[in-house]
Amino acid sequence: MKVFTSVWLRRLILYVFAVWCIFPLYWIFLTALKTPIQAMARPPLFLFEPTFANFAKVVGNPDIWAYFASSTIVAAGSSLLTLALGAPAAYILARYSFRGRGDFGFWLLSSRMTPPVAMLIPFFVLYYQLGLLDTHLGLILAHVTLNLSIVVWLLRGFFSELPREIEEAASLDGDNHFQVFARITLPLAMPGLISVGILIFLLSWNEFLFALVLGDSAVRTVPVGLYGFIGYQTIAWAELSASASLLIIPVILFILVFQRHLIRGLTMGAYR
Amino acid sequence: MPLRQTTIQRAERSFILWMLAPATILMLSLTLVPFLVSVYLSFTDYSLTAPETINWVGLKNYSDLLSSADFWDAARITTIFTIVAVGIETVLGVGIAALLHHEVRQAPWLRVIYLLPMAITPIAATFTFRLMFNPTQGVLNHLLGLAGVSPSAWTAAPETALLSLILVDVWQWTPFILLIVMGGMAALPPEPEEASQMDGAGPFRTFFLVTLPRLKPYLALALLFRLIDAFKTFDIIFVLTGGGPGVATRTLNLLAYKYGIEFLSMGYASALAIVMLVFTLVAGQVFLRRLGLFDLKD
Repeated sequence: MKVFTSVWLRRLILYVFAVWCIFPLYWIFLTALKTPIQAMARPPLFLFEPTFANFAKVVGNPDIWAYFASSTIVAAGSSLLTLALGAPAAYILARYSFRGRGDFGFWLLSSRMTPPVAMLIPFFVLYYQLGLLDTHLGLILAHVTLNLSIVVWLLRGFFSELPREIEEAASLDGDNHFQVFARITLPLAMPGLISVGILIFLLSWNEFLFALVLGDSAVRTVPVGLYGFIGYQTIAWAELSASASLLIIPVILFILVFQRHLIRGLTMGAYR
Repeated sequence: MPLRQTTIQRAERSFILWMLAPATILMLSLTLVPFLVSVYLSFTDYSLTAPETINWVGLKNYSDLLSSADFWDAARITTIFTIVAVGIETVLGVGIAALLHHEVRQAPWLRVIYLLPMAITPIAATFTFRLMFNPTQGVLNHLLGLAGVSPSAWTAAPETALLSLILVDVWQWTPFILLIVMGGMAALPPEPEEASQMDGAGPFRTFFLVTLPRLKPYLALALLFRLIDAFKTFDIIFVLTGGGPGVATRTLNLLAYKYGIEFLSMGYASALAIVMLVFTLVAGQVFLRRLGLFDLKD
């Protein structure tokens, strides 16, 4: 009893775990503020006079802004499209029973179980034939395919928790199924749709393998651009860290602003 | 009123169809078609180095694959990575959730910090681990040195490379288990725990005998997602070791990537992808049926 409930020991463990979670991010920002020589120092420096020279240097790199643009187009396009396709299907799975419902649900879920290369190789061959390689549309469609099952799965749970009564009242008033869904259910479900949309935006933004293989020069997202930096200059730690920091600052802000939605989205699927 | 009944049913049926159609059509064209293409390619010698020729080779790709040491090595490495990483994540995640459950009201910001590893762009996190793993200038060996532990070669040596990758996966995904278990604990009514404490059971006994069994459905789902995702891991391995040193960390995913995307031998790579797909689907089905989860059947 004493050990387990001892507040101080418990807090210590929680703080140690928090430091462990945040340390790699702290380290990348710290390295970005060092001079190239400080960054290679042995032993590594914790205290030093910070310099913003690395940031000043990488901020002027037009490639970085192109990566942001590509990622924004792909993440926004794919999250909106995934929601538009997924929400109606999720609603049906939540509200109606029909023959083959379980199989339909499992089939959607099976795309999440598919190893990415099993999807990537045919995608690559098909895109090669169709001329979709290195296009925004191609990458958006690929990300929709990756994330649709997650959207359906999460929203199905969300829809099934909405009270039926309001929908029933509307249909007694003479609204047909479509009107009930569009005018009653969707507005009620808006918080859930927003949470799931935010999650999908982040997943699409962070996705690497498909973006690497299906994109190239015209469509290079942030993770692929970052990978390019790492590949080319292995020595310039300070400058690389500045680029990496610059690329993750918006993501960190995004996470901080939308933390509630993200926690809900990431864990919502488990509470059915 | 049988006539009216059928009109209602017909309206409902067409509603269901229209609502399911967009998702179904997209998934059919973007998963089923690629899947069929994959199956077809896996019986051919199709290669993008010579895209104009394509020959039917029957089961040759599969027999080559199943008799190659590369495949079985990769299967072994994938299994070790998946099971060890998810195992550690589960123990740590459940343990910390048990502690955090009582604490979270005082420190809600802890949850945000715990969210960061799994939400931050994985390539960026992987890059910073690369700096930290550096055997001579990296901060990890420095910190270990302060604690009196001898330095490790991390990803640079075959013996430690896989463990280093597991460490990164544990860093990234322990919070996932943690958040799910914590959410589960918050959703459960506290009475059984209170009763158990009143009966004189200590907190450890209460946790293992009362709380943990009730968390099983949440934990099972978290585990399923983690197992699937760990099996699929690509980013951190690709960037940190590229499957090396040698082939020490070459998982099935990396092997398929190498044959398909680097060597462009789509036939052989497709055979490997199909084998992986069949394995995950069968394992996933067994897991789901076993637990009776995801029971969408009415």
